Amino acid sequence: MSTETTTPAPAGVIHDIGYQRYAGARLGRRYVAGSLYVHGLRTAFGFGRSAKAKIFPWLIVAIVAVVAAGLAAVRSQIGQVVLTYAQFADAMSWLVIFFVAVVAPELVSRDLRSGVLPLYFSRPLRRADYALAKLAALVTAAWLLLGAPQLLMFAGAAFTTDKGMGGVWDELLDLLPGLAYAAIWALVFASVALLVASLTGKRAFAAGGIVAVFLMTTPIVGVLMVMPSTTVNRLAGLASPSSLVQGVGVWLFEEWLVTDTAAGIGIGRFGPVYGAAALLLIAACVGLLLARYRKVASA
Amino acid sequence: MSTISWLTARGLFGRRRFLLLLPLPLLVVGLAVLARWAGVSPTHWGGPVLVGLGLAVVLPVVALIVGTGVLGSEIDDGTIVHILTKPLPRWQIVLPKLAVAIGVTAVTVAIPLYVAGVLAHSVRLGLALAAASAVGAVAYSALFLALSLVTRRPVLLGLVYVLIWEGLLGNYVSGTKVLSVQQYVVTIADRIAPTSMLSAEVSVPVSIVMTVLIAAGFTALAITRLRTFSMAGETS
Repeated sequence: MSTETTTPAPAGVIHDIGYQRYAGARLGRRYVAGSLYVHGLRTAFGFGRSAKAKIFPWLIVAIVAVVAAGLAAVRSQIGQVVLTYAQFADAMSWLVIFFVAVVAPELVSRDLRSGVLPLYFSRPLRRADYALAKLAALVTAAWLLLGAPQLLMFAGAAFTTDKGMGGVWDELLDLLPGLAYAAIWALVFASVALLVASLTGKRAFAAGGIVAVFLMTTPIVGVLMVMPSTTVNRLAGLASPSSLVQGVGVWLFEEWLVTDTAAGIGIGRFGPVYGAAALLLIAACVGLLLARYRKVASA
Repeated sequence: MSTISWLTARGLFGRRRFLLLLPLPLLVVGLAVLARWAGVSPTHWGGPVLVGLGLAVVLPVVALIVGTGVLGSEIDDGTIVHILTKPLPRWQIVLPKLAVAIGVTAVTVAIPLYVAGVLAHSVRLGLALAAASAVGAVAYSALFLALSLVTRRPVLLGLVYVLIWEGLLGNYVSGTKVLSVQQYVVTIADRIAPTSMLSAEVSVPVSIVMTVLIAAGFTALAITRLRTFSMAGETS
């Protein structure tokens, strides 16, 4: 390093020991968010982590897969459809609650607790990107949980069909609404669960809180159902996320969901209300989640 | 011993955390008042509110959060070391914590259930529900406190028990009802105040004996586990 003539002789010398600026490609915000999403999805099923982290997710996956395999077997042997693809999602709703209660705290509470958020936010990643990447990972994981067994059932039905390609095509047309319905389940449950989990760094409290939100609201529906007003009865499903999703399902996929006219929740002509409420719930949860991450770990 | 209870209570309630326990009991009372106000017959709403919400959800979930919180959160935070290094027998650590958990759970659950029971039927039903939920609080708290010493993920394991064992299997596989705290609580409440709203599935002696066995057994297990407790870092 050369010294300027105006300054006095230096007391020390800074040697150039060859540090260089990074000149390679910078992967940027999209890459970070993408990595976070992939990492979140792997975390959801415990990939890349110890065997202990795999116990609970895979317990649920195993139960769901066994049920699907059983349904496929019954169908191929007896030829009776016990549950349609869309009804399968309904029947598994308790396990979805448990699944999001297991996974959502893993995704966000650990980061809060171990204090790594400032490290994430010092990258090109924006705060909203972090929240949305985690949400996308949870939605995908929950959708896979419900969707993959439906594919299993589809495979069982497609290989045993006796109507050739037409039968497979009919089966596919039944499968697609089932997958779409599973996506609605995944969206609603994941956004509610992630919001609750993002409020606390303790995984235990987060899991308890998520289950509490879903279970506490279910009996409200039961009480509103017996109220002496038909309008209140029809709108009762709005009180709980599970019945809200079922209401949307009855509205959009009635043909596939309601095989028995006596069963299912009656929503009357309020289908669009359920649809709007579901959208509003998702939007509110995502909005609150983003608001939460605008503030968290900023101090 | 009283210091431990005081520390535990402060850990549970400090910094406005007790507010988190409020919504659940308020929901029970709120629904009962709403149904009563709308003039619905108690035979219609009694089942869903008293059993479906109160005994099947509020009681186990509050017991789970409190019961795993009294010891589990100290293990999580590592502050359990400070207590373990004091010259205290292990039972003097477990019992005060268990007492706080039982007390908090019983008060949080019994009061709203008493109110809801009075609104639904009679003072007798209210007292029966309050007594039964206090008994349930003892069994659940002992169970969940022991869980927090047996595993690193007590809440999830507790949820498996509450959701899958009591919730799902209890409805379909009747044999599991003999091993379900929820059924003991319903049975005891039904024995004290027989109404059409509660349906006892197991016999009264079985419930009482099993409740005592569960409470004593899991307390003993917790004390034994704490004797040989080894601190481990956060596992993945």
